[in-house]
Amino acid sequence: MTDNALILGTIFTPFAAGIVCLALWGRNRAQRWVMLLAALLAMGFALALGAQALTSGTQIYRLGGWQPPYGITLVADGLTAAFLSAASIVGFAITLYTFGCKDKQMTRSAYAPTAMMQLTALYGTFLTGDIFTFFVFMELMVISSVILVATADDKLGIEAATKYLLISAMGTLFLLVGVGTSYAVFGSLNMADIAQKSAEAGALAGAAMVILACSFLLKSAAFPFHFWQPDFHTIAPTPIHALLSSVVVKVGVYGLIRLTTLLFPTLVAELRVILIVLGIIGIFFGSLTALRTFNVKRVLAYSTMGQIGFILISIGWGNTLALTAAILYSFNHALVKSGMLMMAGWLASQNKLKSSKIAQSQGLGYKMPLASALFFIGGLALAGIPPLNGFISKLAVVQGGIAASEGDVVQWLVLGLVIGGGILTLLYVTRLWQAIFQSPPNAQTAELKPAGAGDSLLAPALLIGGCVLLGVFAQPVVDIAQTIAVGLADTTPYITAVLGG
Amino acid sequence: MGAIFAVVTGILFGLGVFQLLRRDLIKVAMGFFILFTAINLFLLAVGTFDGRVAPYVQPGTFERLEDAVPNGIPSDPLVQALILTAIVISFGSYALLLGMLNVVGKRKNSINADDLDDLKG
Repeated sequence: MTDNALILGTIFTPFAAGIVCLALWGRNRAQRWVMLLAALLAMGFALALGAQALTSGTQIYRLGGWQPPYGITLVADGLTAAFLSAASIVGFAITLYTFGCKDKQMTRSAYAPTAMMQLTALYGTFLTGDIFTFFVFMELMVISSVILVATADDKLGIEAATKYLLISAMGTLFLLVGVGTSYAVFGSLNMADIAQKSAEAGALAGAAMVILACSFLLKSAAFPFHFWQPDFHTIAPTPIHALLSSVVVKVGVYGLIRLTTLLFPTLVAELRVILIVLGIIGIFFGSLTALRTFNVKRVLAYSTMGQIGFILISIGWGNTLALTAAILYSFNHALVKSGMLMMAGWLASQNKLKSSKIAQSQGLGYKMPLASALFFIGGLALAGIPPLNGFISKLAVVQGGIAASEGDVVQWLVLGLVIGGGILTLLYVTRLWQAIFQSPPNAQTAELKPAGAGDSLLAPALLIGGCVLLGVFAQPVVDIAQTIAVGLADTTPYITAVLGG
Repeated sequence: MGAIFAVVTGILFGLGVFQLLRRDLIKVAMGFFILFTAINLFLLAVGTFDGRVAPYVQPGTFERLEDAVPNGIPSDPLVQALILTAIVISFGSYALLLGMLNVVGKRKNSINADDLDDLKG
């Protein structure tokens, strides 16, 4: 297998752009152009890499030319391709949104380099084939997100960032313990090597699996580890919020899929049950809390918790159809959620207080047909109404559930709860839409409305347009997800591609 | 030696977790750093399953690995590289945490975790 330079290109383009942005300190316009170009280039690399990984098998890059399992190997297989393409599309959209964003933070010189480092770390976590490098990229992501949120326009940013840094640093510390434990068991950090040896592993491998699973659950803000997520995500500036809530939480999901299908497939029977239970709790806790929350950004942050629940349940079911659903759901949810969060940011920018509380934004979008239509379509896609892409992914989840629950009453009950939980999404989305776009402004909000225009609607329009397209022409995407899920069932091609013959 | 490592790592881990749960945020930051040290020690212990001398190789050609190392069987150098990386990362996050606590303390005139309660929604 030859080294594929596209892998390096995807990681190092945003990294180089971050350094160039540092050199352009104080020249805001130039920084934004560099960011946009780098994100566009990285998206091109990532999509080309994904296409290659799907057509001609797993692509690898051996850093420093060391033969695996020695040295650091960067690997792009089908699963990486799915998550990486979602991440790079959202990454491009947020740099586009930065152009039209009126937040003061966007004009600070520290913003662009940090945002680029965050993208580097995000792409790196998906591309690495080495669990220690995974930890390093994860820690880079935590530090850059903390800086971006601490310097947000909102005064509470520093408080949210402190809380997140403590909790998330704990999460990555436990990831490090898990890495150390699996090194003690397998004597290797290479994922393919661990996968090869994991079948005959002893009890300590189970401990490593549990610690890794806990830290991935913390990263994906699943139920018992969710408490940091709404605070931190609500305070984040709009473009960063869109990235955090749509793709960064998917890093945990990606880790869980890798854990259950590649690293420890023989040890995860109990973990699957736990994932199903946590997913159900997540769906109901997230959706019901979203119904009783009075801040648009916070509603969407809780909604992420609910939507992650659907993915966790699919991973828990773990058959080919359900894994197809998990991949489809992750991809579609990344597009919808980032689009919706940009709409929420646009809404906050329409408000003199820059607040996204529902009481202060009632009727702010009254008689704004374009924004209203975008929010409505995005909301329906989030709730899973045909013909939008949310429907395709929910349908896939239900199909996976039917395949998993043949003749099993408990599983049928789980499936019923999943469908019921899906309906809750519709409730909170329509509640937001009615309050903001359908009711006329009251005395307080009419006063708060500024004369000038707010943020640009270009980026959310592209993302939500993409949702409609992916809903109408869903077949190719479903086929690709199915190919990836079938490939996950057999780990041999991955191991052969990385370790060679 | 292994027993001492286990005990020390366990004590440091316990101290770190205890400090992390304190109300005083400076103590929390200290606990964070103690916990990182405990994990670094744990990583170091992981590398010593074969031998404990420094992985320094004498120049020349040797039949067996043991002959190439002056004082016996070497420990695994990979985990020591991992610890170096982990130390750099922990240093970065620790500095960031202390910097943010400095800002919090100036704004709130308090570093008690109970006073950081403005985020309610």
